[in-house]
Amino acid sequence: MVESKQQWKAWLYLSPAILLLLVFTVWPIFNTLRMAFLDGYGNMAAMGGATFEFGIENFLKVIDYDKFLDCLKTTAILCVATVPVSTALALLIAVALNSIKPLQKTLQTIFFLPYVTNSIAIGMVFATMFNIVGYNPVERAADTWGIINLVIQFFGGEPISWINQGSSYTANIVVMIVYIVWNALPFKILILLGGLQSINKQYYDAAKVDGTRKARVLTRITIPLLSPMLAYVIITGFIGGFKEYSSIVGIFGEKMGPPDDAGRLNTMVGFVYDALEKDRQGLASAGALILFVIILLVTMFNNKVIKKHVHY
Amino acid sequence: MSTTTVMQERDVKKRTFMQKMFKIFGKTGTYTFLLIMALIILFPFYWMIISSLKTLPEYRQAIPTFWPNEVMWGNYSKAFTTANLGNLFLNTLYVGVVSTFASLIITVLSAFAFARLEFKGKEPLFGALLATMMIPGELFTITNYITVNQLGWMHSFTALIVPFLVSVFYIYLLRQNFMQIPNELYLAAKVDGTSDIKYLWRVMIPLALPTLISITILKMMGAWNSYIWPKLVANDEAHQMITNGLRNAFTDTTGQADYPVQMAAVAIVSAPLFLVFLCLRKYIMQGVSRSGIKG
Amino acid sequence: MIKRIIATVLTLIMVLGMFAITGCGESGNESSAFVVPETGFNPDETVDITFTHTMGARLQEVLDTYIAEFNKIYPNINITHQSAGGWGDINGQINTEIAGGTQPNIAYCYPDHVAMYNIAKSVVVLDNLIASDIKIKDSEEIIGLTDAQKADFIESYYNEGLVYGDNQMYTMPLNKSTEVLYYNKTFFDEHGLKVPTSWDEMWEVCKKIKEIDPKCYPLGYDAEDNWFITMCEQMETDFTSAENGGQYLFNNAKNKAFVKELREMYKKGYFTTQELYGSYTSNLFVETTDTNCYMCVGSSGGASYQMSNNDTADGSFAFEVGVATIPQYSQENRKVISQGPSLCILKGKDTTDQQVLASWLFVKYLTTNIDFQAEFSMASGYMPVIKSVTENENYAAWLAKGNGKEYLVAKCVQVGIDGRDDYFVSPAFNGSSKAREQAGALLLKCLSTDTENVDKLIDDAFQEALNECEY
Repeated sequence: MVESKQQWKAWLYLSPAILLLLVFTVWPIFNTLRMAFLDGYGNMAAMGGATFEFGIENFLKVIDYDKFLDCLKTTAILCVATVPVSTALALLIAVALNSIKPLQKTLQTIFFLPYVTNSIAIGMVFATMFNIVGYNPVERAADTWGIINLVIQFFGGEPISWINQGSSYTANIVVMIVYIVWNALPFKILILLGGLQSINKQYYDAAKVDGTRKARVLTRITIPLLSPMLAYVIITGFIGGFKEYSSIVGIFGEKMGPPDDAGRLNTMVGFVYDALEKDRQGLASAGALILFVIILLVTMFNNKVIKKHVHY
Repeated sequence: MSTTTVMQERDVKKRTFMQKMFKIFGKTGTYTFLLIMALIILFPFYWMIISSLKTLPEYRQAIPTFWPNEVMWGNYSKAFTTANLGNLFLNTLYVGVVSTFASLIITVLSAFAFARLEFKGKEPLFGALLATMMIPGELFTITNYITVNQLGWMHSFTALIVPFLVSVFYIYLLRQNFMQIPNELYLAAKVDGTSDIKYLWRVMIPLALPTLISITILKMMGAWNSYIWPKLVANDEAHQMITNGLRNAFTDTTGQADYPVQMAAVAIVSAPLFLVFLCLRKYIMQGVSRSGIKG
Repeated sequence: MIKRIIATVLTLIMVLGMFAITGCGESGNESSAFVVPETGFNPDETVDITFTHTMGARLQEVLDTYIAEFNKIYPNINITHQSAGGWGDINGQINTEIAGGTQPNIAYCYPDHVAMYNIAKSVVVLDNLIASDIKIKDSEEIIGLTDAQKADFIESYYNEGLVYGDNQMYTMPLNKSTEVLYYNKTFFDEHGLKVPTSWDEMWEVCKKIKEIDPKCYPLGYDAEDNWFITMCEQMETDFTSAENGGQYLFNNAKNKAFVKELREMYKKGYFTTQELYGSYTSNLFVETTDTNCYMCVGSSGGASYQMSNNDTADGSFAFEVGVATIPQYSQENRKVISQGPSLCILKGKDTTDQQVLASWLFVKYLTTNIDFQAEFSMASGYMPVIKSVTENENYAAWLAKGNGKEYLVAKCVQVGIDGRDDYFVSPAFNGSSKAREQAGALLLKCLSTDTENVDKLIDDAFQEALNECEY
């Protein structure tokens, strides 16, 4: 009897969410599907009275794109590299922040500041730090090397072209990783800190009585108890990572690459944007659905791995 | 037998000494690490502030200055007078508060259902919900625009609030948090005849307070930063949101932004948000210690 | 759980896919050209029209003033206007609005944008309106343009409305900008240099400057894509065509030849561009320390950025800035690019004839009113589109003197007005913006990539750009 009561109660509680999702998420997804399966569909063209055949041409065309694999590769590299790094760093910061008394409030406030910082400012800082102004690759001369290169030179290293002409793909990716990790940190710190606070203090008190070592407390108590939040941060991190686009525009601009190789850092969502701008909603939708399938597979894999380690 | 005790004693002494050293090193290490990270995190904020005090030519300089040559407090007064900040602020606050409040209710109810109740199709439904996060939202814009238009919501606060009330992202987050709360508490409450709502209010919400505060902060930030959607559905004076007002007010003739003034304006409107955070912060840090749940 | 997710998703896809096939058709816009009703425009009837633009606060003030003036003639036409943010924003916003049938009646536009709106057949073809000699009720004014008004337009601006490959008029020019050559007059006078008028002269001057100051870049060019397109136009080689829905014609030997020449000049250190330098070249131009450039090609609308900001003690500038037309390939075929806003009139299913007529009357008012054109030009630094604007005394005085930064703005406008016969706009179609983007990218790539085999680099870059465009 409890069973059936729970049934209708569950649906009652879920009803506002489901209703809104049906209208503002499921319906658009349905439309996305429709556009993806209409050959060469364009919204403007449809408004202009053009008709489209049902077919899978959009999907074939996406796969046929010369740089489709490059887009996928960049997307995957950025995703795989940034999620573990940012999660680990955020965890360390959250735990450290939780373990101190003096300065705790001040530091926590500082870690919140990125939320009230203008996104243009964040992009600018990064571009400025890595940018070489007036770079001359032949004479290896420049007007300004940028902060990062100055640090490298200070330690006796050779300056590197990070985002300017002659920069390597690896250098570009490194810049993107640093930028994305930085961008992702505040959110993750906030979530993990919230999670840490939900852990019952009794566990720690018990550990203290036993004289357990710090590192052991971290791996044996904190991480397992925090695992639901870590799972959340990792899974949503991957989903977000696969949709990476605006951070690349933040550093490299709309050209999505260094000046001598525009489009080098294009990603799947970048591809979708391009298609949208050219009134090719069909192509964009097909690209997005292909991306969707990839994210779905990765998420399921993540879920499988994570599930073994999550303790509720 | 006695030798072992002596050895054990010595061991314990050694250990406590080591522990002390460890503690001191640990604390210094922790602080150094946190301070370095804080500096790195702080840098863009610093940049925003000094940028807001520069002249436009200085802002555009190839070699950036770390301190404005000429401190332009005038940017702040310009930001204050050019855009109708008061009005923009009130609009944004209204949208932010209403949507946060409504969104929290929906999120709590849904997360509770997913975390605590058993019903047919729970797992697939949750999976499908997660799946909706995996499609780039930009594709939804046109369809949602048409929907809102057909519902007659154009140029209203409804159009700004309702479409984004449900966030799978937050439902998922809160579900994770709710799942951590022992089920026995719920069953015990059931036996006592406590209603779900009462249980939610008395037990679940206090326990999940840090997460709920985090969601509140993020949701408020969302209202502050949203740009594309508000511009489409409610860019009239009565409903204009802060980011739209700022972007429009400080573009020059060639369509380029007057960034220093824009950043000054951002700094001005961020101040109240920052205060809200300072007030809420203590709830995040306070955690569950006071909730006194003993099972 | 995983299997269930897969099952759910697959079922959903299938169900939705089924719907998709039966899908809902949308009724499209009618394509026929606008026909002016014989009854003409009725000024007694109240009409509401909307206007979307990208004007900043200063220009909106000017606009408000002239809406009030316009309403003295037509008190029943209510105009509401709003800014859509920057240039990058307005296109996307109006695209979405067209899809929802809520597009504005009048919009600020660039040719690439209009080409897009035109796919939805949402742009009103202006030919019948321009030609209409139906008189407005109780007035001597005709709906269309008088011959005098037509003749008053700077021809090359007026013809911008015709670049869509079908010889129909889609837009009216509002205010325009172009690229001009800024040069350090103090430096030029000091060393007896002549301002280059052709590219050959340009490279010679660059050589001389490089001898005087080996560390400098003699020339800075802000927009790589404009450079490529302007070279095509000056040399009369193919770039694109709007015919047959748009063609990409830039992959040809002549274009490769000039790109190769530019590369040689770049390798000699004669110039740099915004992307290659890593910052606005105007900064290089205005700064008097360290590395320098003595000439700079940039938008006439950005004149205030080209002024030396190293003020000397007595308030004068560290050096005097001169403005000239950009160098040409041949004096017989002088070409400079035309930029800046035009106006188009949009229509949807619910747009009435009266609204179209009211919109047209307002567009006509803005583009032919001498005082508005003059004030707008002074406030924006853009160039007026009608010749008679100099009849406005304030404007003539503004052009003649002025000081400091304003002086330079006025000088740019003057150079722009003098070059009125040289303007071009590249053809516009769905994909023309991609061509522009790719032209800039390929030029950058060809200039800066290090290689032994330059010809192969250039061949590959052109081919890749073409592939991107044609994809």
